[in-house]
Amino acid sequence: MEYILKNGIVYDPQNEINGETMDIFIKDDQIAESVSDDAKVIDVSNKIVMPAGVDVHAHVAGPKLVLGRLYRPEDSRMGVSQKTKIERAEAGFSIPCCPTTGYRYSRMGYGTVCEAAMPPLEAKHTHEEIATIPNIDINPVTLFGNNWFCMEYAREGRIEEMAAYIAAMLRVSKGYGVKIVNPCGSEAWGWGQNVHGYDDKAPYFDVTSRQLVVALAKANEMLGLPHSIHIHPNDLGHPGNYPTTVETLKSIKEIKKSTKKAAKIRDQTVHNTHLQFHAYDGTSWKDASSGADKVADFINHNDYVTGDVGQVTFDETTTMTADAPMEYDLFQISGLKWANKDIECETAAGIIPCIYSPKTPVGTLQWAIGLELFLLVDNPWQICMSTDHPNAGPFIRYPRIISWLMSAPRRMEMIENGEVHKWSHKRTGLAGLDREYDFYEIATITRAAPAKIHGFPDRGALTPGYKADIAVYDVNPNDFDPSRNPEMVERIFTSAAYTIKDGQILVKDGDLVATKPSHVIWTDVKGWEREEAQVLNEMMPFFTQYYSVKWENYQVHDHFLSNPIKVEVPAK
Amino acid sequence: MSYEPPVTDYDYIVENCTCAFCGCNCDDLDFLVKDNHVVAVRHACRLGASKVMEDLDQRLMVPMVRNEEGVLTETDWDTALDTAAEYIANSIRPVFYGWSETSTECMKEGLELGEYIGAVLDNQATICHGPSLQAMQNAGYPIQTLGEVKNRADVVVYSGSNAMNSHPRHLARWAVYPRGYFRQRGRFDRTVVTMDPKFSDTAKCSDMWIGFEQNGDYGFYNAIRAVIKGKKLQSESVSGIPAEDIYELVDVMKNAEFGVLFFGLGLTHTLGKQRNIDIAIKMVQDLNAMSKWGLTPMRGHFNVNGFNIFMAFETGWAFGVDFCRGWGRYMLGETNTIDLLVRKEPDCFMVVAADPGAHFPNGANQHLADIPVIQVDIHWGPSTELADVVLPGSFISVECAGTSYRMDGVPIYMKKAIDKPETCRDDEWIIRELKERVMKLREETNVAEKYVPNPIMDLKRLEKEE
Amino acid sequence: MHYANSYLERPVVGDPHVDSDVGRLEVLNCMLNTGSDIYQGACKKRGSTLKEEYKNASGTCYMDPRDMAKLGVKNWDHVLVKTDYGEVVVSAARSRDAPHEGTVFICKGPWANTITSHETYCCSDPTYKGIHATVEKTDREVLLMADLMRWVYKKYVDEEDDDVVENMESLGERPFYNGRKWEELENHEL
Ligand code: SF4
Ligand SMILES: [Zn+2]
Repeated sequence: MEYILKNGIVYDPQNEINGETMDIFIKDDQIAESVSDDAKVIDVSNKIVMPAGVDVHAHVAGPKLVLGRLYRPEDSRMGVSQKTKIERAEAGFSIPCCPTTGYRYSRMGYGTVCEAAMPPLEAKHTHEEIATIPNIDINPVTLFGNNWFCMEYAREGRIEEMAAYIAAMLRVSKGYGVKIVNPCGSEAWGWGQNVHGYDDKAPYFDVTSRQLVVALAKANEMLGLPHSIHIHPNDLGHPGNYPTTVETLKSIKEIKKSTKKAAKIRDQTVHNTHLQFHAYDGTSWKDASSGADKVADFINHNDYVTGDVGQVTFDETTTMTADAPMEYDLFQISGLKWANKDIECETAAGIIPCIYSPKTPVGTLQWAIGLELFLLVDNPWQICMSTDHPNAGPFIRYPRIISWLMSAPRRMEMIENGEVHKWSHKRTGLAGLDREYDFYEIATITRAAPAKIHGFPDRGALTPGYKADIAVYDVNPNDFDPSRNPEMVERIFTSAAYTIKDGQILVKDGDLVATKPSHVIWTDVKGWEREEAQVLNEMMPFFTQYYSVKWENYQVHDHFLSNPIKVEVPAK
Repeated sequence: MSYEPPVTDYDYIVENCTCAFCGCNCDDLDFLVKDNHVVAVRHACRLGASKVMEDLDQRLMVPMVRNEEGVLTETDWDTALDTAAEYIANSIRPVFYGWSETSTECMKEGLELGEYIGAVLDNQATICHGPSLQAMQNAGYPIQTLGEVKNRADVVVYSGSNAMNSHPRHLARWAVYPRGYFRQRGRFDRTVVTMDPKFSDTAKCSDMWIGFEQNGDYGFYNAIRAVIKGKKLQSESVSGIPAEDIYELVDVMKNAEFGVLFFGLGLTHTLGKQRNIDIAIKMVQDLNAMSKWGLTPMRGHFNVNGFNIFMAFETGWAFGVDFCRGWGRYMLGETNTIDLLVRKEPDCFMVVAADPGAHFPNGANQHLADIPVIQVDIHWGPSTELADVVLPGSFISVECAGTSYRMDGVPIYMKKAIDKPETCRDDEWIIRELKERVMKLREETNVAEKYVPNPIMDLKRLEKEE
Repeated sequence: MHYANSYLERPVVGDPHVDSDVGRLEVLNCMLNTGSDIYQGACKKRGSTLKEEYKNASGTCYMDPRDMAKLGVKNWDHVLVKTDYGEVVVSAARSRDAPHEGTVFICKGPWANTITSHETYCCSDPTYKGIHATVEKTDREVLLMADLMRWVYKKYVDEEDDDVVENMESLGERPFYNGRKWEELENHEL
């Protein structure tokens, strides 16, 4: 099938196209230089055309999500809608069920989402869910930050073995990259403890968080993976944690980015997720204040770092993270029902419902810090849109965040009319920031930058040969002032005029017109087979003794992969 | 059982097969195969072995339909499937029950059919750990994988669960006997407590047996919680347990480095039901303030957890999901099988890989005598005696591959070891066929003209609600 | 072909041998619990539900030996158990978990179903445990599974009278196919 998107106003930051009126050609599932006369013309004049959205970090599939859905039927009830000829019934608000997740991303014009935490032992589960989510492609990143083997390799400084292990585990779990959550801390949670700061050790493992992270970063670059390490540093959510964050990022400074082909697309050697939770100053919640300026300042001076925000949206949501000790802390504060899941030799996860109210000081402080980060990091290629869905809010709130970013008057209005608690300006610098994002920058933080950060060679831009993943929004930027129309901005980005995925029209005028199965994207490292075999051989007795399943049954069989896109990385 | 010499007459061994019996999903079985039959099983417990070494006398081989005299008559697949499809298509309140002994792949087909026709989908959780699910919805759910238990646990509590009888290898593989990374001396490094009114086989191999009174669970846990929080007990004994024993027990629990509570139907089937689990969960949460504790429900069937997980990611709810209005509705105690049957609501009942005939109370089963029952199973069982159409499936994990979820949520892909009997079909195939046939017979029910988002999606900021 | 064998005619139970109070009671008032045990589980999941073996594994009331003595029943004597929800004839046997005077245990299965409570109290799960029951000695037979299902549910008999159905010709221990006997099916060269 061929299409011409005619006369759109195109924002394509990767190709430095900033609001030019032009045509986009689609041939089958790709963007093309040209098409034949048979191509169907879709008139998109006076509408914005962008690459389809890429979510740099969200939790949409896997055991944590299911635990959340199992124990929060009230959340599922919150989002129900009746089935139609095209879509199945919807359910869920902060943790929608799989089909609903796909539909809602599609309506917002998204095409790709990174599932940000996949434990290898339960990777099959994650893949089963990915296969159930329609319309969006998903690249799950595998958890390594509390993995016993990695901790041992780091302690012994065996980077090459660690790299071989990662290569093997990406194949075993069919994962895309290296995710690190509260390094050493979730292992400490195995004993009900946590690590404090970057130089603390997990009990019984003679290795610090710093050693582990640095080793993982080195191994990541040794392999030349498309994505850098993707880290959620220690001390999440604790007042006074920004030095830990900065320390963590600093420690990667000397590590050279791989020169291998797959790693070429990205610029960074470390991606720090949900920075908002890691940018607090003060010593306790009594005197907590924003550390956003310090974190942003560091990022502004160090181009090897990227991050996403984890913006609080003022909703009733469900927090879930592999930072399990932090979730227990939250439980002790809020007393809401607490779920937890520890996974042998690998990780842990905690879940708790959370109500971010604009009336409470802490939630408002977090909201303001998030916005500060967006506004203080100068280069939009270094900061991405995220709510760490569902942790700081559900992904369906991205349009609202966009409206805040595009409108300083709206932010001031919220502060001045008391819509948000006074901590928003008393303890942060938000009131002094009048920067406003334009559509080009919005396109950067919601598609171009996330795609580049993940090292995708086929999406996030409208380059011929790329996937025909395109979003069209019904607004003419030339006679529209987003600064004065925040509600309108929200509406525009909530329902795309068109969402095209792999050259197929899925959404028209905000309504789903079709659904399609998703792809899962994973990384297959080539050329390390001998080292992998050695490492596996060495670890096998340990695995057999201390894991609860057989190695054969540990691996994710091809059966579980939904239309896989295998990214081959010739690592040697 | 008499002594039997080891089986030596076999063609080959298939390793790392999964046991499709209890929620332990032991994935280390070796099947000894001769002439496409499993002639012996290694590593399985008595339960697992007996299931794999099935009774071929009662194996359902051929599709059957009741004739006018009420006698099951063999027929061909087309006739049987068409008859079943007609029953489903002509019903207005169908219930599809079971699923816990089949694969998630099969469930997928069943769910599609259920959504299409507006059925209620429910599984065995409704008669076993339903209250546990309800309790976790009230109180939370701190769990851990079984490998964590093996490697770390030094205090293990079985409450209302007779693992030695219902999950025989649970103690041996993970909870009690094995040597774990931090528990190198195995059994000697662990304290095992069994709480059960009966001096069960599990109690017999524990260090402590707490034989609280029948229906005394709630009061007992309440007392433990009080003591954990530093309170003194006012009476000399609670639920038949002397106060000193409770103090001693709490001491053990508080001083655990890593404790785990495994609970079974002893808690869910007594009068307190979900309240028993509620308070047990809260107890575990309290203990986390001073130690590290987790819990795991002892799920009975090998994929009962799988159905709950599957339904949660597909529809948002774990079990008892009612699609009659074109969207999912879930109300424990209303949209569940037993309640529906007792209220005599269903007018068609499909049982997939389950046996209500063997496990539902009389008061619920009586209604099955009044309505058409379709059975998809591998053995002639009590439900066959109530079935109007019988569709012989294949034996998952032996004759057919598929995905299951262990009691702790670890997914396991159960591979196929031998071929199924020629006249049988895979469950997944059967349900897909039914789905396609029903779709030909009847329009999809309750489809909205246009998508209408739930109002919550436009929820303005919280304060406007206040 | 040699198949490894896990069949067991009936569960292994101990000898009750209690001499006091023998035959003191006509009717025992007690608490009924149901649930699974390993014999029932093995037999059920093997698929041998039509067999005598299942009847013995599932249709047995496990009792404290003192309670047995009071009623004057020996292992494998028949007893009638009644609750608010129904009645059923099962065998009596000494419980492996005794002592638990005043409590009896019947494994889950069609026999127990007949007398357990379907009350869920709005939480999906019937009350399978902690039901008040009476136990008394009886001469009536313990029905095989198929006969029991016919007697309880009467789905496919044109007869309402319990006694008549109870005494009908047994459906036996093998699947009852119309027209063809089990032996004629292929793959049964056991
Ligand atoms: S413990 Fe359960 S899963 Fe393991 S062999 Fe026995 S019955 Fe099978
Ligand atoms: Zn996250």
